[in-house]
Amino acid sequence: MTKINIENTAVESREQRLGTIVSWYGKASELSEISQYSKGGGCGGGKGRRCTICEASGPFSQASGCTDAMAECQAGNIRDAVLIKHAPLGCSSFQVALNTIYRYGLAMRGHKIENVTVTSTNLREDDMVFGGIDKLRLTVEDVWDRYHPKAIFIGAACATAIIGDDIDSVAIEYGEKLGIPVIPMHCEGFRSKHWSTGFDASQHGILRSIVRKNPEKKQEDLVNVISLWGSDVFTPMLKNLNLRVNYVVDMASVEDLAQTSEAAATVAFCNTLGTYLSEGLEQHYGVPQVRATQPYGIKGTDEWIRALAKLTHREELAEEYIAREHARIEPIIDGLRKQLAGLSGFVATGSAYAHGMMCVLRELGITLKGSQVFHHDPIYDSEDPAQDTLAFLVDNYGDIEDFTVSVRQPYQFYTTLKKVKPDFITIRHNGLAPVASRLGIPSIPLGDEHQAIGYQGVINMGFIILAVMKRQRFHQDLAKHVKSPYSQWWTAQTDANILSKHPELIWDDVSDAGVSAVKRAPQPISEGTG
Amino acid sequence: MSKKIKQIAIYGKGGIGKSTTTSNITAALSEAGYNVMQFGCDPKSDSTNTLRGGTYIPTVLDVLREKTKVDAHEVIYEGFNGIHCVEAGGPAPGVGCAGRGIITAVQFFKQQNIFEELDLDVVLYDVLGDVVCGGFAVPIREGIAEHVFTVSSADFMSIYASNNLFKGISNYSKSGGALLGGVIANSINQSYSKEIVDDFVKRTNTQILEYVPRSVTVTQSELQGKTVIEAAPDSAQADVYRSLAKKIAAHTESKVPTPLEVSELRAWASGWGQHLLELERRNSAPEALAKVSS
Repeated sequence: MTKINIENTAVESREQRLGTIVSWYGKASELSEISQYSKGGGCGGGKGRRCTICEASGPFSQASGCTDAMAECQAGNIRDAVLIKHAPLGCSSFQVALNTIYRYGLAMRGHKIENVTVTSTNLREDDMVFGGIDKLRLTVEDVWDRYHPKAIFIGAACATAIIGDDIDSVAIEYGEKLGIPVIPMHCEGFRSKHWSTGFDASQHGILRSIVRKNPEKKQEDLVNVISLWGSDVFTPMLKNLNLRVNYVVDMASVEDLAQTSEAAATVAFCNTLGTYLSEGLEQHYGVPQVRATQPYGIKGTDEWIRALAKLTHREELAEEYIAREHARIEPIIDGLRKQLAGLSGFVATGSAYAHGMMCVLRELGITLKGSQVFHHDPIYDSEDPAQDTLAFLVDNYGDIEDFTVSVRQPYQFYTTLKKVKPDFITIRHNGLAPVASRLGIPSIPLGDEHQAIGYQGVINMGFIILAVMKRQRFHQDLAKHVKSPYSQWWTAQTDANILSKHPELIWDDVSDAGVSAVKRAPQPISEGTG
Repeated sequence: MSKKIKQIAIYGKGGIGKSTTTSNITAALSEAGYNVMQFGCDPKSDSTNTLRGGTYIPTVLDVLREKTKVDAHEVIYEGFNGIHCVEAGGPAPGVGCAGRGIITAVQFFKQQNIFEELDLDVVLYDVLGDVVCGGFAVPIREGIAEHVFTVSSADFMSIYASNNLFKGISNYSKSGGALLGGVIANSINQSYSKEIVDDFVKRTNTQILEYVPRSVTVTQSELQGKTVIEAAPDSAQADVYRSLAKKIAAHTESKVPTPLEVSELRAWASGWGQHLLELERRNSAPEALAKVSS
């Protein structure tokens, strides 16, 4: 197994660790086959962690996200810690959106509702030339005087990473001076083409500096649940096994993060989010992670509960709970299946979470011909096939014809939806929902990402779909009155990935739009679209 | 418990003989039985050439540019006597950011635990020594090299670069950075050159590790694409490098230097300038007399 290296302050990027890709098209079974843990066989050859998948490429990228923002959304959402962005002010602009999500999340979990506490060193031209370290020192001191936080995160940015500002030294200096963890995060956007490296960057800092190194006690009934801001569905679920929940990272306190080393097990609502922290806790602190698929759909939840019960020695309780829940939900789900019969759906969200969501929809009898997942990890940090969520989906619920991996890219999303023609979509990155509306397709916004978890999650999703389908007419009306933002040429396209195959075609589009046709040589294609 | 790997950074002004010296130390250490890696941190990427018959190797940054997922083994090349050779690489002159290149390459190596895997005894970073930006200071920061040596001649610009390096070391020393092991005085053939570097180390609270004379053996060896240790193992120059390598292997205690302020450095240089003029005048006087009498 590859070691999670917490000696170094900088985390290894996802593409380097896991071979993550952001662009691919084909069937789910094909992607599973070339990235499957044991089989390997991607076009780059190699097995397991050395397996590389050839990524589709495109002549441009229409949308993306930043590693930095994902590190911020975790480190900046810890209740009694403060995040300092060591960057020009604009790098903190994402905080506007994050603050809203944070407040909603606090409300859903019953915490005191408050704003994020994030500061910026506000670097200027002079700081870029002479270094911004003195400003960082001043900011750390100000943050301490104003907030007395339990921990301080220092987030690098592209600018500070290029000039090589030594945030590590400042972190050491003030960690000693203030007696709290001061954590450098090397989360500069250019380090990775996919934003999920940002999750890893903040979790890396937590593993190095906050998690209690030599816990005096073990809490045999405590389970770390790596999550974002979703509502508290894990507490009632795990209560059936006499287990308590320790939610990390978002909205946790520093103490919640510190005690992760005392827990009996670690689980994650999504492997994309939790892979690094789960593996780090297991390797460095001996806290085992659940080696099973995710708790989505009845079969997935059964396996997940059993694996957790095995780790925490609660097999009997688990079997009782499973039997009870099966008896409770099966009649409801049968009823839902009848009402949902004939509907087809489409999943557009992050990687492992999308796999889970597809399991839920298939259990409800929804036809699923396509999806757009925002990236793909050919392997997770544990390298354990038991966690291979894509194989679980394909092996248990069948293939998905148009399984596209595309880091948002609305133009591809538009064409894939036109081809697949679903009745509804489920989506977590709601900025893309209007693309579906323009085509008359209603969206299920997964703002609360925990809605689909566990046995109740299958029922929840069934009722949500029924509710959303009642609004189908509204979207169909919308579609009649909106104009496609794309040219006639693209509107007529049926292959969302045609530009990956023939990038030179974008020049045909220019002539089609009425501009004099100047044939140019195809431009070099950048690898990936991140 | 894994053994402690000795990590050393050797800095020096461009062209002062830093790569020549580093490669010879590496070769001598390897010859003495140590498992050594030489890590070139100069965008010119020629640090390890004399360990590999004068050939260039693909650099870390070149390979990282070609593909996003790279195994450290792909950028380690075997040199003389099994030495592990790595070149960080960097952009062409005038473009991009060479400093960031060093950060990227060094971080890449740190993340892969490769030093432990190769069971190395010593890693030598050969770094362009002007420390012009944060990137060039990476090898002296916390967690990379432990000891720093600088290669310097008696030239004022070379001493200026060393003094700058001392400033960097003294700066990072507060946060667990590398400390200064001493100066390797290079191209010391005149007695006054020795006096100049001796005086500089005295004022900056450090030491001379070795005086390396300028030697045609070095040039001859380099023209063959080899170190002196490989090309002329029986030469006196090879013994100088062996002695230096031995001292480096045995070196344990490094210190924080006391760099001179710019004004102090100028005054110091100007003092030496006058002294040298005086010397020259004195030396040329008998010659002039001889000319007249002939």
